[in-house]
Amino acid sequence: MIFFKFAKRNLARHKFRSVLAVIGIVIGVLAITALGILGNSVRLAASEQLCMIGNELVVFPYGGGTISEDDFERIEKVADAIPVRSSVDKVILNGESTLVMIYGMRSKDIPKLMEKEDGQFLKHGSLNCLVGSRLADNYELRVGERASIESQKPRIVGILKERGIGFDISPDNAIIISDKMFSSLYDSSTGYNSVIVKVDNIEDVEEVREEIEDRLNKKEEVVMVMELKMIVEGIKELFNTISVFLLGIGAISLLVAGVSILNVMMMSTVERTKEIGVMRAIGTSRSGILRMFLFESLILGAFGGVIGAILGFGAGFLVDVLILKEVSYLFAPSSIFYVFLGIAFGIGTSVLSGLYPAWRASKLKPIEALRYE
Amino acid sequence: MKVVELVEVTKVYELPRGSVKALDNVSVSIEAGGFISIMGPSGSGKTTLLNIIGCLDTPTRGRVAIGGENINGLGDDQLTRLRRDKIGFVFQQFNLIPTLTALENIQYPIILKGLNGHEKKGKELLESVGIDEKLGENKPNELSGGEQQRVAIARALANDPDIILADEPTGNLDTKTSKDILVLLKETNERGKTIIVVTHDPLVADYTSRTFRLVDGRVEDKVRNFK
Repeated sequence: MIFFKFAKRNLARHKFRSVLAVIGIVIGVLAITALGILGNSVRLAASEQLCMIGNELVVFPYGGGTISEDDFERIEKVADAIPVRSSVDKVILNGESTLVMIYGMRSKDIPKLMEKEDGQFLKHGSLNCLVGSRLADNYELRVGERASIESQKPRIVGILKERGIGFDISPDNAIIISDKMFSSLYDSSTGYNSVIVKVDNIEDVEEVREEIEDRLNKKEEVVMVMELKMIVEGIKELFNTISVFLLGIGAISLLVAGVSILNVMMMSTVERTKEIGVMRAIGTSRSGILRMFLFESLILGAFGGVIGAILGFGAGFLVDVLILKEVSYLFAPSSIFYVFLGIAFGIGTSVLSGLYPAWRASKLKPIEALRYE
Repeated sequence: MKVVELVEVTKVYELPRGSVKALDNVSVSIEAGGFISIMGPSGSGKTTLLNIIGCLDTPTRGRVAIGGENINGLGDDQLTRLRRDKIGFVFQQFNLIPTLTALENIQYPIILKGLNGHEKKGKELLESVGIDEKLGENKPNELSGGEQQRVAIARALANDPDIILADEPTGNLDTKTSKDILVLLKETNERGKTIIVVTHDPLVADYTSRTFRLVDGRVEDKVRNFK
Protein backbone atom coordinates (compact mmCIF):
# COMPACT_ATOMS: atom_id res chain seq x y z
CA MET A 1 0.00 0.00 0.00
CA ILE A 2 1.99 2.93 -1.34
CA PHE A 3 -0.05 5.65 0.39
CA PHE A 4 0.39 4.00 3.77
CA LYS A 5 4.14 4.05 3.17
CA PHE A 6 3.93 7.74 2.28
CA ALA A 7 1.98 8.41 5.46
CA LYS A 8 4.59 6.68 7.62
CA ARG A 9 7.47 8.56 6.01
CA ASN A 10 5.70 11.88 6.16
CA LEU A 11 5.13 11.45 9.88
CA ALA A 12 8.75 10.47 10.34
CA ARG A 13 9.80 13.68 8.58
CA HIS A 14 8.55 15.75 11.52
CA LYS A 15 9.15 13.37 14.38
CA PHE A 16 8.83 15.91 17.15
CA ARG A 17 5.59 17.29 15.79
CA SER A 18 4.14 13.81 15.32
CA VAL A 19 5.16 12.81 18.83
CA LEU A 20 3.44 15.89 20.26
CA ALA A 21 0.27 15.07 18.34
CA VAL A 22 0.43 11.49 19.61
CA ILE A 23 0.92 12.72 23.19
CA GLY A 24 -2.31 14.70 22.89
CA ILE A 25 -4.20 11.56 21.91
CA VAL A 26 -2.39 9.54 24.60
CA ILE A 27 -3.60 11.92 27.30
CA GLY A 28 -7.17 11.86 26.01
CA VAL A 29 -7.31 8.09 25.75
CA LEU A 30 -5.55 7.72 29.09
CA ALA A 31 -8.23 9.89 30.69
CA ILE A 32 -11.10 8.00 29.07
CA THR A 33 -9.71 4.58 29.90
CA ALA A 34 -8.61 5.37 33.46
CA LEU A 35 -11.75 7.29 34.38
CA GLY A 36 -13.93 4.67 32.71
CA ILE A 37 -12.25 1.89 34.68
CA LEU A 38 -12.47 3.95 37.87
CA GLY A 39 -16.20 4.62 37.41
CA ASN A 40 -16.84 1.01 36.57
CA SER A 41 -14.80 -0.31 39.52
CA VAL A 42 -16.69 1.94 41.92
CA ARG A 43 -19.95 0.69 40.47
CA LEU A 44 -18.85 -2.94 40.78
CA ALA A 45 -17.64 -2.38 44.34
CA ALA A 46 -20.92 -0.76 45.29
CA SER A 47 -23.09 -3.41 43.70
CA GLU A 48 -21.07 -6.06 45.49
CA GLN A 49 -21.83 -4.45 48.82
CA LEU A 50 -25.44 -3.62 48.11
CA CYS A 51 -27.92 -6.42 47.83
CA MET A 52 -30.02 -5.24 44.95
CA ILE A 53 -32.98 -7.46 44.36
CA GLY A 54 -35.31 -5.94 41.87
CA ASN A 55 -38.35 -8.13 42.26
CA GLU A 56 -39.10 -7.30 45.90
CA LEU A 57 -41.40 -4.86 47.57
CA VAL A 58 -40.96 -3.89 51.18
CA VAL A 59 -44.07 -2.81 53.06
CA PHE A 60 -43.53 -0.51 56.05
CA PRO A 61 -46.09 0.79 58.46
CA TYR A 62 -47.08 4.33 57.57
CA GLY A 63 -45.64 6.88 59.95
CA GLY A 64 -44.07 4.41 62.39
CA GLY A 65 -45.70 1.67 64.43
CA THR A 66 -46.20 -1.84 63.12
CA ILE A 67 -48.22 -3.80 60.58
CA SER A 68 -51.04 -5.75 62.15
CA GLU A 69 -51.69 -9.44 61.58
CA ASP A 70 -54.89 -8.55 59.70
CA ASP A 71 -53.07 -6.23 57.35
CA PHE A 72 -50.40 -8.87 56.80
CA GLU A 73 -53.05 -11.37 55.75
CA ARG A 74 -54.43 -8.86 53.30
CA ILE A 75 -50.97 -8.43 51.80
CA GLU A 76 -50.53 -12.17 51.59
CA LYS A 77 -53.65 -12.41 49.48
CA VAL A 78 -51.96 -10.31 46.81
CA ALA A 79 -48.60 -12.07 46.71
CA ASP A 80 -46.13 -14.26 48.55
CA ALA A 81 -45.30 -12.25 51.68
CA ILE A 82 -42.68 -12.59 54.40
CA PRO A 83 -43.38 -10.91 57.74
CA VAL A 84 -40.34 -9.57 59.56
CA ARG A 85 -40.02 -8.49 63.15
CA SER A 86 -36.90 -6.66 64.16
CA SER A 87 -35.33 -5.16 67.20
CA VAL A 88 -31.97 -3.89 68.32
CA ASP A 89 -30.68 -5.35 71.54
CA LYS A 90 -27.59 -5.88 73.61
CA VAL A 91 -26.12 -9.30 72.92
CA ILE A 92 -23.15 -11.07 74.44
CA LEU A 93 -21.03 -12.90 71.88
CA ASN A 94 -17.93 -14.80 72.91
CA GLY A 95 -17.92 -12.86 76.13
CA GLU A 96 -18.19 -9.47 74.47
CA SER A 97 -21.24 -7.29 74.77
CA THR A 98 -22.48 -5.49 71.67
CA LEU A 99 -25.59 -3.97 70.15
CA VAL A 100 -26.95 -6.12 67.34
CA MET A 101 -29.91 -6.16 65.00
CA ILE A 102 -32.21 -9.05 65.72
CA TYR A 103 -34.68 -10.33 63.13
CA GLY A 104 -37.56 -12.60 64.02
CA MET A 105 -38.78 -14.59 61.03
CA ARG A 106 -40.84 -17.65 60.27
CA SER A 107 -38.37 -20.46 59.77
CA LYS A 108 -39.85 -21.37 56.38
CA ASP A 109 -39.15 -17.83 55.11
CA ILE A 110 -35.47 -17.72 56.01
CA PRO A 111 -34.16 -19.77 53.03
CA LYS A 112 -36.18 -17.52 50.70
CA LEU A 113 -34.04 -14.52 51.58
CA MET A 114 -30.71 -15.91 52.75
CA GLU A 115 -28.16 -18.60 52.06
CA LYS A 116 -26.14 -20.43 54.66
CA GLU A 117 -22.39 -20.68 54.81
CA ASP A 118 -22.18 -23.29 57.54
CA GLY A 119 -24.51 -25.37 59.73
CA GLN A 120 -28.23 -25.38 59.07
CA PHE A 121 -31.31 -23.16 58.98
CA LEU A 122 -33.76 -22.91 61.88
CA LYS A 123 -36.39 -25.57 62.35
CA HIS A 124 -40.00 -24.55 62.96
CA GLY A 125 -40.36 -22.98 66.40
CA SER A 126 -36.67 -23.42 67.09
CA LEU A 127 -35.10 -21.68 70.06
CA ASN A 128 -31.73 -21.52 68.36
CA CYS A 129 -30.33 -18.74 66.19
CA LEU A 130 -28.45 -17.92 62.99
CA VAL A 131 -25.71 -15.29 62.78
CA GLY A 132 -24.67 -13.08 59.88
CA SER A 133 -21.31 -13.54 58.21
CA ARG A 134 -19.67 -10.35 59.46
CA LEU A 135 -20.84 -10.91 62.99
CA ALA A 136 -19.40 -14.43 62.82
CA ASP A 137 -16.11 -13.08 61.48
CA ASN A 138 -15.80 -10.24 63.96
CA TYR A 139 -16.54 -12.35 67.01
CA GLU A 140 -15.06 -15.58 65.69
CA LEU A 141 -18.32 -17.39 66.16
CA ARG A 142 -18.68 -21.03 65.21
CA VAL A 143 -21.64 -23.33 64.86
CA GLY A 144 -22.49 -24.84 68.20
CA GLU A 145 -21.54 -21.85 70.34
CA ARG A 146 -24.10 -19.86 72.25
CA ALA A 147 -25.13 -16.26 72.09
CA SER A 148 -26.73 -14.48 74.98
CA ILE A 149 -29.80 -12.29 74.41
CA GLU A 150 -31.68 -10.96 77.43
CA SER A 151 -32.37 -14.03 79.57
CA GLN A 152 -31.99 -16.55 76.73
CA LYS A 153 -28.90 -18.33 75.49
CA PRO A 154 -29.75 -19.57 71.99
CA ARG A 155 -27.30 -21.95 70.28
CA ILE A 156 -25.84 -20.85 66.96
CA VAL A 157 -26.90 -23.52 64.48
CA GLY A 158 -25.96 -21.79 61.27
CA ILE A 159 -23.80 -19.05 59.83
CA LEU A 160 -25.21 -17.11 56.89
CA LYS A 161 -23.49 -16.19 53.66
CA GLU A 162 -22.58 -12.57 53.10
CA ARG A 163 -25.54 -10.78 51.56
CA GLY A 164 -24.62 -7.09 51.52
CA ILE A 165 -26.57 -4.09 52.71
CA GLY A 166 -30.17 -4.59 51.67
CA PHE A 167 -33.20 -2.40 51.65
CA ASP A 168 -35.31 -5.29 52.88
CA ILE A 169 -33.07 -6.87 55.51
CA SER A 170 -29.34 -6.64 56.24
CA PRO A 171 -28.45 -9.87 57.97
CA ASP A 172 -24.66 -9.63 57.76
CA ASN A 173 -24.36 -7.93 61.11
CA ALA A 174 -27.51 -9.43 62.60
CA ILE A 175 -28.86 -12.40 64.48
CA ILE A 176 -31.86 -14.26 63.06
CA ILE A 177 -34.22 -16.04 65.40
CA SER A 178 -37.57 -17.73 64.90
CA ASP A 179 -40.80 -15.80 65.34
CA LYS A 180 -41.60 -17.96 68.37
CA MET A 181 -38.29 -17.11 70.03
CA PHE A 182 -38.82 -13.42 69.13
CA SER A 183 -42.25 -13.49 70.80
CA SER A 184 -40.77 -14.96 73.93
CA LEU A 185 -38.14 -12.21 74.11
CA TYR A 186 -40.10 -9.14 73.08
CA ASP A 187 -43.67 -7.97 73.10
CA SER A 188 -44.84 -8.97 69.65
CA SER A 189 -48.54 -8.48 70.03
CA THR A 190 -48.26 -5.16 68.25
CA GLY A 191 -47.43 -6.63 64.83
CA TYR A 192 -44.67 -6.75 62.26
CA ASN A 193 -42.01 -4.16 61.59
CA SER A 194 -42.03 -4.81 57.86
CA VAL A 195 -43.33 -7.22 55.28
CA ILE A 196 -41.25 -8.30 52.33
CA VAL A 197 -43.21 -9.20 49.23
CA LYS A 198 -41.61 -11.37 46.58
CA VAL A 199 -43.01 -10.89 43.10
CA ASP A 200 -42.34 -13.78 40.73
CA ASN A 201 -42.14 -11.67 37.61
CA ILE A 202 -40.24 -8.39 37.82
CA GLU A 203 -42.62 -6.92 35.24
CA ASP A 204 -45.52 -7.26 37.69
CA VAL A 205 -43.86 -5.31 40.51
CA GLU A 206 -45.73 -2.12 39.76
CA GLU A 207 -49.08 -3.85 39.56
CA VAL A 208 -48.58 -5.72 42.84
CA ARG A 209 -47.57 -2.54 44.57
CA GLU A 210 -50.69 -0.75 43.40
CA GLU A 211 -52.88 -3.59 44.50
CA ILE A 212 -51.38 -3.67 47.99
CA GLU A 213 -51.82 0.06 48.29
CA ASP A 214 -55.41 -0.18 47.05
CA ARG A 215 -56.35 -2.87 49.53
CA LEU A 216 -54.62 -1.47 52.61
CA ASN A 217 -54.76 2.27 52.18
CA LYS A 218 -58.44 2.42 51.30
CA LYS A 219 -59.59 4.54 54.21
CA GLU A 220 -56.36 5.96 55.48
CA GLU A 221 -52.67 5.55 54.84
CA VAL A 222 -51.73 2.39 56.71
CA VAL A 223 -48.65 1.23 54.87
CA MET A 224 -45.90 2.59 52.72
CA VAL A 225 -44.70 0.34 49.91
CA MET A 226 -41.10 0.64 48.84
CA GLU A 227 -40.26 -0.70 45.45
CA LEU A 228 -36.71 -2.06 45.34
CA LYS A 229 -36.73 -1.93 41.58
CA MET A 230 -36.98 1.83 41.70
CA ILE A 231 -34.20 2.14 44.23
CA VAL A 232 -32.01 -0.26 42.29
CA GLU A 233 -32.67 1.70 39.13
CA GLY A 234 -32.04 4.97 40.90
CA ILE A 235 -28.68 3.74 42.10
CA LYS A 236 -27.79 2.35 38.69
CA GLU A 237 -28.73 5.68 37.18
CA LEU A 238 -26.58 7.50 39.69
CA PHE A 239 -23.59 5.38 38.75
CA ASN A 240 -24.31 5.80 35.08
CA THR A 241 -24.35 9.54 35.62
CA ILE A 242 -21.01 9.35 37.41
CA SER A 243 -19.59 7.24 34.57
CA VAL A 244 -20.86 9.63 31.92
CA PHE A 245 -19.46 12.56 33.86
CA LEU A 246 -16.04 10.91 34.12
CA LEU A 247 -16.12 9.97 30.44
CA GLY A 248 -17.08 13.55 29.67
CA ILE A 249 -13.89 14.75 31.32
CA GLY A 250 -11.94 12.27 29.20
CA ALA A 251 -13.81 13.33 26.10
CA ILE A 252 -12.86 16.96 26.64
CA SER A 253 -9.18 16.10 26.71
CA LEU A 254 -9.66 14.05 23.55
CA LEU A 255 -11.37 17.00 21.94
CA VAL A 256 -8.32 19.12 22.68
CA ALA A 257 -6.15 16.39 21.18
CA GLY A 258 -8.39 16.35 18.12
CA VAL A 259 -7.89 20.07 17.65
CA SER A 260 -4.14 19.63 17.90
CA ILE A 261 -4.22 16.87 15.26
CA LEU A 262 -6.33 19.10 13.06
CA ASN A 263 -3.73 21.82 13.50
CA VAL A 264 -0.82 19.51 12.71
CA MET A 265 -2.54 18.13 9.65
CA MET A 266 -3.51 21.57 8.38
CA MET A 267 0.10 22.68 8.74
CA SER A 268 1.19 19.59 6.86
CA THR A 269 -1.16 20.18 3.95
CA VAL A 270 -0.01 23.77 3.60
CA GLU A 271 3.68 22.87 3.83
CA ARG A 272 3.30 20.08 1.35
CA THR A 273 1.16 21.97 -1.15
CA LYS A 274 3.83 21.89 -3.83
CA GLU A 275 4.55 18.23 -3.20
CA ILE A 276 0.85 17.46 -3.51
CA GLY A 277 0.88 19.37 -6.79
CA VAL A 278 3.76 17.24 -8.07
CA MET A 279 2.09 14.02 -6.97
CA ARG A 280 -1.13 15.07 -8.67
CA ALA A 281 0.72 16.14 -11.84
CA ILE A 282 2.47 12.81 -12.26
CA GLY A 283 -0.79 10.91 -11.93
CA THR A 284 -1.84 10.57 -8.29
CA SER A 285 -5.61 10.67 -8.00
CA ARG A 286 -7.55 12.78 -5.50
CA SER A 287 -8.48 9.68 -3.58
CA GLY A 288 -4.79 8.77 -3.34
CA ILE A 289 -3.99 12.11 -1.68
CA LEU A 290 -7.03 11.73 0.57
CA ARG A 291 -5.92 8.27 1.64
CA MET A 292 -2.37 9.41 2.32
CA PHE A 293 -3.53 12.06 4.77
CA LEU A 294 -6.15 9.84 6.37
CA PHE A 295 -3.50 7.19 6.93
CA GLU A 296 -1.37 9.81 8.64
CA SER A 297 -4.11 10.68 11.10
CA LEU A 298 -4.96 7.01 11.48
CA ILE A 299 -1.38 6.17 12.43
CA LEU A 300 -1.26 9.05 14.93
CA GLY A 301 -4.57 7.90 16.40
CA ALA A 302 -3.59 4.24 16.55
CA PHE A 303 -0.30 4.97 18.31
CA GLY A 304 -1.92 7.42 20.70
CA GLY A 305 -4.86 5.11 21.30
CA VAL A 306 -2.85 2.02 22.09
CA ILE A 307 -0.27 3.79 24.26
CA GLY A 308 -3.02 5.75 26.02
CA ALA A 309 -5.06 2.61 26.65
CA ILE A 310 -2.06 0.77 28.12
CA LEU A 311 -1.26 3.73 30.39
CA GLY A 312 -4.95 4.10 31.24
CA PHE A 313 -5.13 0.45 32.21
CA GLY A 314 -2.07 0.98 34.41
CA ALA A 315 -3.68 4.03 36.00
CA GLY A 316 -6.87 2.03 36.55
CA PHE A 317 -4.78 -0.65 38.22
CA LEU A 318 -3.19 1.90 40.57
CA VAL A 319 -6.57 3.39 41.47
CA ASP A 320 -8.11 0.00 42.12
CA VAL A 321 -5.19 -1.15 44.23
CA LEU A 322 -4.68 2.08 46.18
CA ILE A 323 -8.26 3.28 46.65
CA LEU A 324 -10.54 0.29 46.28
CA LYS A 325 -7.91 -2.26 47.37
CA GLU A 326 -9.28 -4.82 44.98
CA VAL A 327 -7.76 -5.80 41.63
CA SER A 328 -10.50 -8.08 40.35
CA TYR A 329 -12.64 -5.14 39.15
CA LEU A 330 -9.88 -4.27 36.70
CA PHE A 331 -10.29 -7.49 34.76
CA ALA A 332 -14.08 -7.44 34.69
CA PRO A 333 -15.30 -7.37 31.07
CA SER A 334 -17.10 -4.10 31.79
CA SER A 335 -13.73 -2.56 32.77
CA ILE A 336 -11.83 -4.04 29.82
CA PHE A 337 -14.54 -2.48 27.65
CA TYR A 338 -13.16 0.95 28.52
CA VAL A 339 -9.72 -0.04 27.22
CA PHE A 340 -11.21 -0.68 23.80
CA LEU A 341 -13.52 2.30 24.08
CA GLY A 342 -10.46 4.47 24.72
CA ILE A 343 -8.62 3.08 21.68
CA ALA A 344 -11.69 3.49 19.50
CA PHE A 345 -12.22 7.06 20.65
CA GLY A 346 -8.55 7.88 20.12
CA ILE A 347 -8.53 6.56 16.57
CA GLY A 348 -11.96 8.02 15.86
CA THR A 349 -11.01 11.50 17.06
CA SER A 350 -7.78 11.42 15.12
CA VAL A 351 -9.31 10.26 11.85
CA LEU A 352 -12.18 12.71 12.24
CA SER A 353 -9.73 15.55 12.77
CA GLY A 354 -7.76 14.44 9.73
CA LEU A 355 -10.82 14.36 7.53
CA TYR A 356 -11.02 18.05 6.73
CA PRO A 357 -7.29 18.60 6.03
CA ALA A 358 -7.22 15.44 3.90
CA TRP A 359 -10.26 16.57 1.97
CA ARG A 360 -8.74 20.00 1.46
CA ALA A 361 -5.46 18.55 0.24
CA SER A 362 -7.25 16.27 -2.20
CA LYS A 363 -9.21 19.22 -3.61
CA LEU A 364 -6.11 21.29 -4.39
CA LYS A 365 -5.88 22.12 -8.08
CA PRO A 366 -2.65 20.60 -9.42
CA ILE A 367 -1.58 23.72 -11.36
CA GLU A 368 -2.10 26.01 -8.38
CA ALA A 369 -0.43 23.59 -6.00
CA LEU A 370 2.55 23.28 -8.36
CA ARG A 371 2.96 27.05 -8.44
CA TYR A 372 2.98 27.26 -4.61
CA GLU A 373 6.38 28.11 -3.15
CA MET B 1 0.54 10.10 -35.91
CA LYS B 2 -0.24 13.30 -34.06
CA VAL B 3 0.44 13.02 -30.34
CA VAL B 4 -0.68 16.56 -29.61
CA GLU B 5 -3.39 18.36 -31.48
CA LEU B 6 -4.81 21.73 -30.47
CA VAL B 7 -7.47 23.23 -32.68
CA GLU B 8 -8.38 26.87 -32.16
CA VAL B 9 -7.75 26.72 -28.46
CA THR B 10 -8.58 29.72 -26.30
CA LYS B 11 -8.02 29.88 -22.57
CA VAL B 12 -9.55 32.68 -20.56
CA TYR B 13 -8.81 33.16 -16.86
CA GLU B 14 -11.47 34.93 -14.88
CA LEU B 15 -9.67 37.17 -12.43
CA PRO B 16 -11.12 39.75 -10.04
CA ARG B 17 -9.69 42.51 -12.23
CA GLY B 18 -11.40 41.11 -15.31
CA SER B 19 -10.76 38.24 -17.64
CA VAL B 20 -7.34 37.50 -19.08
CA LYS B 21 -6.90 35.71 -22.35
CA ALA B 22 -3.85 33.49 -21.84
CA LEU B 23 -4.23 31.63 -25.13
CA ASP B 24 -5.91 33.17 -28.12
CA ASN B 25 -7.13 30.85 -30.83
CA VAL B 26 -4.01 28.67 -30.84
CA SER B 27 -3.74 25.74 -33.20
CA VAL B 28 -0.77 23.44 -32.81
CA SER B 29 -0.16 19.89 -33.87
CA ILE B 30 2.86 17.81 -32.97
CA GLU B 31 3.82 14.57 -34.65
CA ALA B 32 5.06 11.59 -32.70
CA GLY B 33 8.82 11.51 -32.30
CA GLY B 34 9.37 15.25 -32.45
CA PHE B 35 11.67 17.30 -30.27
CA ILE B 36 9.85 20.56 -29.85
CA SER B 37 10.58 23.74 -27.99
CA ILE B 38 8.07 26.35 -26.99
CA MET B 39 9.57 29.80 -26.50
CA GLY B 40 8.29 33.17 -25.53
CA PRO B 41 8.59 35.89 -22.92
CA SER B 42 6.95 35.54 -19.53
CA GLY B 43 3.21 36.07 -19.63
CA SER B 44 3.07 34.94 -23.23
CA GLY B 45 0.99 31.88 -22.39
CA LYS B 46 3.76 29.25 -22.42
CA THR B 47 2.80 27.79 -19.08
CA THR B 48 -0.88 27.74 -19.98
CA LEU B 49 -0.10 25.90 -23.20
CA LEU B 50 2.07 23.45 -21.30
CA ASN B 51 -0.65 22.90 -18.69
CA ILE B 52 -3.21 22.16 -21.36
CA ILE B 53 -0.92 19.75 -23.22
CA GLY B 54 -0.06 18.21 -19.84
CA CYS B 55 -3.74 17.65 -19.02
CA LEU B 56 -3.41 19.81 -15.95
CA ASP B 57 -5.89 22.30 -17.33
CA THR B 58 -8.65 22.30 -19.91
CA PRO B 59 -9.32 24.98 -22.53
CA THR B 60 -12.17 27.49 -22.43
CA ARG B 61 -12.80 26.93 -26.12
CA GLY B 62 -11.30 24.74 -28.81
CA ARG B 63 -10.47 21.07 -29.13
CA VAL B 64 -7.50 19.29 -27.56
CA ALA B 65 -6.42 15.73 -28.26
CA ILE B 66 -3.49 14.11 -26.44
CA GLY B 67 -2.18 10.78 -27.69
CA GLY B 68 -5.28 10.55 -29.87
CA GLU B 69 -7.63 11.06 -26.91
CA ASN B 70 -9.92 14.06 -26.76
CA ILE B 71 -9.59 15.74 -23.36
CA ASN B 72 -12.47 18.20 -23.69
CA GLY B 73 -14.99 17.56 -20.96
CA LEU B 74 -12.93 14.95 -19.13
CA GLY B 75 -13.26 14.81 -15.33
CA ASP B 76 -10.45 15.06 -12.82
CA ASP B 77 -9.99 11.30 -12.51
CA GLN B 78 -9.73 10.81 -16.27
CA LEU B 79 -7.26 13.69 -16.65
CA THR B 80 -5.23 12.20 -13.81
CA ARG B 81 -5.15 8.86 -15.58
CA LEU B 82 -4.00 10.54 -18.82
CA ARG B 83 -1.20 12.32 -16.95
CA ARG B 84 -0.14 9.07 -15.35
CA ASP B 85 -0.16 7.00 -18.54
CA LYS B 86 0.52 9.32 -21.47
CA ILE B 87 2.61 12.18 -20.12
CA GLY B 88 5.92 12.43 -18.35
CA PHE B 89 6.72 15.65 -16.52
CA VAL B 90 10.15 17.17 -16.02
CA PHE B 91 10.21 20.33 -13.93
CA GLN B 92 12.64 23.19 -13.48
CA GLN B 93 12.98 22.44 -9.77
CA PHE B 94 13.19 18.68 -10.33
CA ASN B 95 10.27 18.14 -7.92
CA LEU B 96 11.18 14.66 -6.79
CA ILE B 97 9.15 13.43 -3.85
CA PRO B 98 11.39 14.06 -0.84
CA THR B 99 10.26 11.07 1.23
CA LEU B 100 11.10 8.58 -1.51
CA THR B 101 14.56 7.46 -2.58
CA ALA B 102 15.69 8.18 -6.14
CA LEU B 103 14.79 4.64 -7.20
CA GLU B 104 11.41 4.78 -5.45
CA ASN B 105 10.64 8.05 -7.20
CA ILE B 106 11.09 6.27 -10.51
CA GLN B 107 9.03 3.29 -9.40
CA TYR B 108 6.19 5.39 -8.00
CA PRO B 109 4.30 6.04 -11.29
CA ILE B 110 4.51 2.34 -12.15
CA ILE B 111 3.07 1.43 -8.74
CA LEU B 112 0.35 4.07 -9.22
CA LYS B 113 -0.61 2.43 -12.46
CA GLY B 114 -0.74 -0.90 -10.64
CA LEU B 115 1.76 -2.67 -12.84
CA ASN B 116 4.02 -5.49 -11.73
CA GLY B 117 7.75 -5.48 -12.25
CA HIS B 118 8.29 -1.95 -10.94
CA GLU B 119 11.42 -3.15 -9.13
CA LYS B 120 13.15 -4.29 -12.27
CA LYS B 121 11.90 -1.52 -14.55
CA GLY B 122 12.87 1.14 -12.00
CA LYS B 123 16.44 -0.16 -11.86
CA GLU B 124 16.70 -0.30 -15.64
CA LEU B 125 15.50 3.30 -15.95
CA LEU B 126 17.90 4.41 -13.24
CA GLU B 127 20.74 2.84 -15.15
CA SER B 128 19.57 4.28 -18.47
CA VAL B 129 19.87 7.85 -17.15
CA GLY B 130 23.35 7.13 -15.86
CA ILE B 131 22.75 6.87 -12.11
CA ASP B 132 24.30 3.84 -10.43
CA GLU B 133 22.29 1.62 -8.15
CA LYS B 134 24.06 2.72 -4.98
CA LEU B 135 23.21 6.37 -5.64
CA GLY B 136 19.62 5.33 -6.32
CA GLU B 137 19.24 4.46 -2.64
CA ASN B 138 19.65 8.12 -1.72
CA LYS B 139 16.91 10.58 -0.98
CA PRO B 140 16.62 13.49 -3.47
CA ASN B 141 18.21 16.02 -1.10
CA GLU B 142 21.36 13.88 -1.07
CA LEU B 143 21.75 14.20 -4.83
CA SER B 144 23.16 17.02 -6.93
CA GLY B 145 20.87 19.06 -9.18
CA GLY B 146 22.02 17.24 -12.30
CA GLU B 147 21.50 13.85 -10.66
CA GLN B 148 18.03 14.88 -9.47
CA GLN B 149 17.07 15.97 -12.98
CA ARG B 150 18.31 12.65 -14.39
CA VAL B 151 16.13 10.81 -11.88
CA ALA B 152 13.23 13.10 -12.83
CA ILE B 153 13.67 12.18 -16.49
CA ALA B 154 13.73 8.49 -15.57
CA ARG B 155 10.54 9.03 -13.54
CA ALA B 156 8.92 10.76 -16.51
CA LEU B 157 9.71 7.69 -18.64
CA ALA B 158 8.43 5.18 -16.09
CA ASN B 159 5.02 4.49 -17.63
CA ASP B 160 6.31 4.69 -21.19
CA PRO B 161 4.37 7.89 -22.01
CA ASP B 162 3.59 9.37 -25.43
CA ILE B 163 5.03 12.76 -24.51
CA ILE B 164 7.70 14.11 -22.20
CA LEU B 165 6.87 17.66 -21.09
CA ALA B 166 9.84 19.56 -19.75
CA ASP B 167 9.33 22.99 -18.20
CA GLU B 168 12.68 24.87 -18.18
CA PRO B 169 14.51 21.60 -17.43
CA THR B 170 17.89 23.31 -17.29
CA GLY B 171 16.76 26.50 -15.55
CA ASN B 172 18.32 25.50 -12.23
CA LEU B 173 21.50 23.92 -13.56
CA ASP B 174 24.94 25.19 -14.49
CA THR B 175 26.02 25.26 -18.13
CA LYS B 176 27.92 21.97 -18.10
CA THR B 177 25.15 20.03 -16.35
CA SER B 178 22.55 21.69 -18.57
CA LYS B 179 24.35 20.35 -21.60
CA ASP B 180 24.39 16.83 -20.13
CA ILE B 181 20.67 16.98 -19.44
CA LEU B 182 19.93 18.26 -22.96
CA VAL B 183 22.03 15.45 -24.38
CA LEU B 184 20.07 12.97 -22.29
CA LEU B 185 16.78 14.47 -23.55
CA LYS B 186 18.09 14.33 -27.11
CA GLU B 187 19.00 10.65 -26.67
CA THR B 188 15.58 9.96 -25.23
CA ASN B 189 14.06 11.63 -28.27
CA GLU B 190 16.23 9.56 -30.56
CA ARG B 191 14.84 6.43 -28.90
CA GLY B 192 11.45 7.55 -30.19
CA LYS B 193 9.89 9.71 -27.49
CA THR B 194 8.15 12.98 -28.31
CA ILE B 195 9.68 15.73 -26.20
CA ILE B 196 8.26 19.19 -25.66
CA VAL B 197 10.49 21.68 -23.88
CA VAL B 198 9.30 25.03 -22.63
CA THR B 199 12.17 27.48 -22.33
CA HIS B 200 13.30 31.01 -22.87
CA ASP B 201 16.88 29.94 -23.36
CA PRO B 202 17.79 29.98 -27.09
CA LEU B 203 20.62 27.51 -26.40
CA VAL B 204 18.04 24.97 -25.29
CA ALA B 205 15.91 25.64 -28.36
CA ASP B 206 18.98 24.92 -30.48
CA TYR B 207 18.81 21.28 -29.48
CA THR B 208 15.23 20.90 -30.67
CA SER B 209 14.04 20.28 -34.19
CA ARG B 210 11.11 22.66 -34.11
CA THR B 211 10.23 25.76 -32.13
CA PHE B 212 6.90 27.39 -31.46
CA ARG B 213 7.13 31.03 -30.48
CA LEU B 214 4.34 32.38 -28.30
CA VAL B 215 3.59 36.08 -28.00
CA ASP B 216 0.55 37.44 -26.18
CA GLY B 217 -1.24 34.15 -26.29
CA ARG B 218 -0.74 33.56 -30.00
CA VAL B 219 1.60 31.28 -31.87
CA GLU B 220 3.42 33.88 -33.83
CA ASP B 221 5.57 31.91 -36.17
CA LYS B 222 7.22 28.60 -36.56
CA VAL B 223 10.92 28.40 -36.77
CA ARG B 224 12.60 25.32 -38.02
CA ASN B 225 16.14 24.87 -37.10
CA PHE B 226 18.30 22.03 -38.16
CA LYS B 227 21.04 21.35 -35.81
